[in-house]
Formats: sequence, C-alpha cells, structure tokens
Amino acid sequence: MKVLRGIPAAPGLAIGAALTLRPLPPVDLSEQRTADASAETTRLTQAIAQAMTLLERLQLTTHGPLAEILAAQREMLDDPELKQGALDLIASGSSAEAAISRIAASYAEQLASLPDPYLAARAEDVREAGRRIVASLRGTSSHIILDQPTILVAQDLSPAELVGLDPTRLQAIITESGSATGHLAIVAQGLDIPAVVGVAGALDEIETRNILVVDGENGTVTINPNLEQRTEIEQRLAEAERDRRNLEIYRDRPGMTADGTWIEVFANIGSLAEAQKAVAMGAEGVGLFRTEFLATQGLPSEEAQYTIYSEIAALIQSPLIVRTFDIGGDKPVPGLDIPTETNPFLGWRGIRLGLDRPEEVFLPQIRALLRASIDPLHDIRIMLPMITTPQEVEAARALIERAQRELESEGYKPQRVPLGIMVETPAAALTLDQFTHLIDFASIGTNDLVQYTYAVDRTNARVRERALPLGAATLRLIEQICWSGIPVAVCGQLASHPAAIPLLVGLGVRELSVAPARIPTVKHILSTMTLTEMQERAQEALGNSKIKQ
Amino acid sequence: MEQTVERTVILGSKSGLHARPAAVFVQHAKSYQSQITLAKDEKTANGKSILSVLALGAEKGDQVALTISGSDAETALNKLVPLLEGDLG
Repeated sequence: MKVLRGIPAAPGLAIGAALTLRPLPPVDLSEQRTADASAETTRLTQAIAQAMTLLERLQLTTHGPLAEILAAQREMLDDPELKQGALDLIASGSSAEAAISRIAASYAEQLASLPDPYLAARAEDVREAGRRIVASLRGTSSHIILDQPTILVAQDLSPAELVGLDPTRLQAIITESGSATGHLAIVAQGLDIPAVVGVAGALDEIETRNILVVDGENGTVTINPNLEQRTEIEQRLAEAERDRRNLEIYRDRPGMTADGTWIEVFANIGSLAEAQKAVAMGAEGVGLFRTEFLATQGLPSEEAQYTIYSEIAALIQSPLIVRTFDIGGDKPVPGLDIPTETNPFLGWRGIRLGLDRPEEVFLPQIRALLRASIDPLHDIRIMLPMITTPQEVEAARALIERAQRELESEGYKPQRVPLGIMVETPAAALTLDQFTHLIDFASIGTNDLVQYTYAVDRTNARVRERALPLGAATLRLIEQICWSGIPVAVCGQLASHPAAIPLLVGLGVRELSVAPARIPTVKHILSTMTLTEMQERAQEALGNSKIKQ
Repeated sequence: MEQTVERTVILGSKSGLHARPAAVFVQHAKSYQSQITLAKDEKTANGKSILSVLALGAEKGDQVALTISGSDAETALNKLVPLLEGDLG
C-alpha cells in the first residue's frame, strides 16, 4: 500500500482498477528493413485495416464536431496516396513504421502551410492517423476503449481524448501533469468524475489492474489499499450516495435563499454531454458555454458551430449564455497561428484575438450564433471574454451588427441577441458603470479576476497560495461590480464554494453558474441562510483581510 | 468503354472542401472504377485521396476542374458534378 499526493482537480471518491496509458516511444525515421520489403508491405496493409476497425468503433461513441473529425481521420487511414507513398518508401528499404511516419509527416507539412486555418489544423489529424497505424504495427492501441469501470492513469489527457471516453465507465482520472484550473479539471468536474492531477511519478508507481482509491477532494491516490481502508472507503461511498439522494430534492427547486430571494443557479458547460448533465441536475439555464472546447481540433466551421449551438439551445430550453472563443497563449488552437508569448495570461487572448482576427475567429462564430437564435424556442445570449474597456465592446457590437446585416441580405431574419461581458480584469471591474449602455449582463470569471488582482499566476505552484479568492481585494471588486446596476452573475469556481456563496449573494450577485454536478449542493447552501444574513456576513468580510478560502 | 470527360465547376459547399465535405466527396469518388482528378489553379489532386483533396485548399466559390477517365466516367461525372456544386454537408 502506498499513498501518492497530487492537486485535487475534481471532487469525489472512487475505488477501482487502474488502466495506465504510457506515452509511445518515438519512431526511428531512418530505420531500414531492406531484408524483406514484401513482408513489410503485408504488415502495413494489415496495420491500416486494423487501425480502421478500431477507429470505426470509436466513431460510434461520438457526435458533433469530434465525430466529423474522426470521419475525416478514418478516410485518411484509407487514403490511397498515403498508402502508396509509404509503399514506395518500403520498396526503397524503409521499415513500415518509418515509412508511414515519414509520409504522414510530409502530408501534415503540406496541410499546415495552407492559408485556411481550419485546413491547416487538419495537419494534426494526419499525424494522428500516422500514429494510429504505427500503434497497430507495434501491436499496441493508440486510443482508449473502456470495456469495464476503470481509473485512468496517464501522463496527460487532452480534452479531445477525454471526450472520446465512455463517461459511465470512467471512475476517476489521475494525471502526472495538469493544474486545478486546467481543461482536464473543468471537463472532469462537468462530468462529475473525480480527478487528481499533478501526481508526480504516477506512471512509475501504478501498474494496470492495481486497485486504487482516488480522493478528488483531498488529492490523494492510494495504491492497493488494505482491507481496513477498503471498508472505510466503501462506508464513505455509501454516505456520499446518501447525501446525494438527500440533495436530490433540491434538483427540481429554483435556487432560493431561506427568505425566498430567487438566485438563479445555472450550469457551466463545454459540450453536449455536459448540457445533458446540466438539464438532468436541474440547471435553470447555462451561464457559461466554453466554446473553445469545440476548437480542440482547430476552429470549427460556421456550419458545425450552428449545428451544435442549435442542438444545445433546443436541449436547454432556457437561457444559454455562450462565451465567444476564449483562446490565446495558454489555450492554443491547432491551425491558428498564435505566437508563443512569455506572458500569455497578459497577452493576445480572448476578445483581443477575436477583434484582431474577425474574419477567421469572431465573425463565423457570431454568424452561427445569430442563425441559431432565429428559432423562437432558442434563448441564446452572447458573452465576450477578457474585456478591459468599453471601446472593445463597441468594436464587438459593430461586428455583430455587420454580421446581422449580412445575414439579412442573405435572407435570414436574425433577432437582437442579448450581449454581456466576462468581468475578469480589475480594469473592467472598476469601471463597469461605464458599460451600462453597451451590455445587458455581466458575469464574473473569478479564477482570472483573482489571478489578475493578486498578480499570482494560477498555474505556478510556488505562488498559487498567495492568491486569496475570498480576500478583501476580491470582495471589494465584486462589490464595486454589483454597484453598476447591471445584472451580475458569477461563473468562476468560487460560485460553488460553500464559504463563498453567502458572500457573493450578500454583495449583490443574483446568478451562480457552476459545474452541473454541483447544482443541487449550491441550491441547498442557498436555502440555509436569509439574504440579510448573507449581507451581514459579506459586510464583515469586506473589512477583514484575513479570510482565506 | 474507356473515355475521358472534363467539367469545370464552381464549388458550392459553404465551408469549401473542409474535412467533412472532402470526406463525402472522396467516399463517392471511390465507388467508381475511373480515375478521378480535381484541379485548382496549378494544383491537382487524386479525387479518391482525402489528403490530396484537402491539400487543394479549395474554398466556396473557387473554380475546380474535374477530370474523369475510365469505363464509368460518364456516370461518375453525372454524380460528382452536382455534389461539388451543392452543399456537400
């Protein structure tokens, strides 16, 4: 028995068998196998067929933009030019592994040089297709199919890899890299799967089929627990199940304080699966749709975006607040040429990128959103990320109006869509009253607001503790934001924090947007205090710089 | 009967030859025995290879020359031209 420690990334407790994913060793591109070209040819042909079968199985479990990507990848595996290119290299003495890797890399370079960012992003798909074939040649599988309940242990998992997994069989996730606010944490929280990230040495210590206990609340992983521990865990799991059932009654109630003030409880989502979860957990709307999660394989086309926005709006049947792409230095997108920056959190991200590259990034998304909101049953609202000044909102509004006029000239009848901003910079927080004529709502992104207020990089473990999400500086900014008179929501992680909820509501926040799994808990916490009690507590906290979370 | 037919078409698909429309086109092209070539400006592509079709970088409204030669060339042309001119999905 051994206990490993990491960063708690998604709460919850799980016990189960491990499946380890080890990075594949690189292919030796100069590897020669002159002895038997015809044997290499047979190996390659069989490997391609096998990779196609595996991909077809994966395709059955996906939908939306990812399914589109997999269909194209399957077609790439079956590409006659790719195969012929590899066979030519084999004929000149290359091994099958080296041949397919070299030819895939050469096509990837061709695609990467295309001016259209969407096509350039397909370069990664060709490389991926090459890796799938190499994996088949080596008798390993490059993608994960869960056929039983599993705790996944990996170096890292991309959102795309995670989305392809069957969430009903995924018990918990452990990775060696990652941060508490990274993509993996957000997706795991949305799917209600416990996760511990930043577990140094996890792949050295854990073998496939080891029994693990994962505690996503405390960030611990216990390898091969003894009987006593297993009994304890099973008791805690039973307790958690009881709590969950007790909270279930809150699911279908509106969010409300003990004295009946309505506080809307919305969901943060990044995919259709999370939207389904939000509805199931009793969300009163979606307060934050992180659309950059649709762009893990490159920016999706206007059509693909229109389809997914319409699908989710029809499913939610209540407000759907869509944040325009929040991409940049720390959230790179394949095919979008964004230079590496020394300080990405202060760099070319969010609305800055959208306004500077409107044709590529901002306008196709706005057109898709305006088209999806024509249906009177869809209640779509647009939210702009990383705003610092009213001028940025004016520029965005001009582009939205332009898209509206263009759609009208194409015969569409777009409606006026409510517009809001993320308040995540002190600049926007301190001057929100100057935005009143420009926006209909504001939503506080607490993760970034705290990071910018305390000048603490939230991905830097050495200084992370110095940021105070409930410190007086954060709270005074939130108080100032609420003074603007604009309806204020909170969609950062603070919105589901038990100690933070009374303070936020006491300061004037009237909508909390949280991970779908947290909705019943948040409604329960709201119901335990009156608005006056929350206001008193908030006033106390404003003067108290010692409060920590 | 072996024959070669040619036609220039204006690409109708909203997103040009992006991954999904390209995959749809290639799947259809593969169902014919004939050799199928697409050309845009000085680039040419094997119509049965998604990689070479993507590498054309063709966008909506682009002129694309379709050349088909083989025993079922005429049938293939009748199917593939409307496909390129329409919305490939």
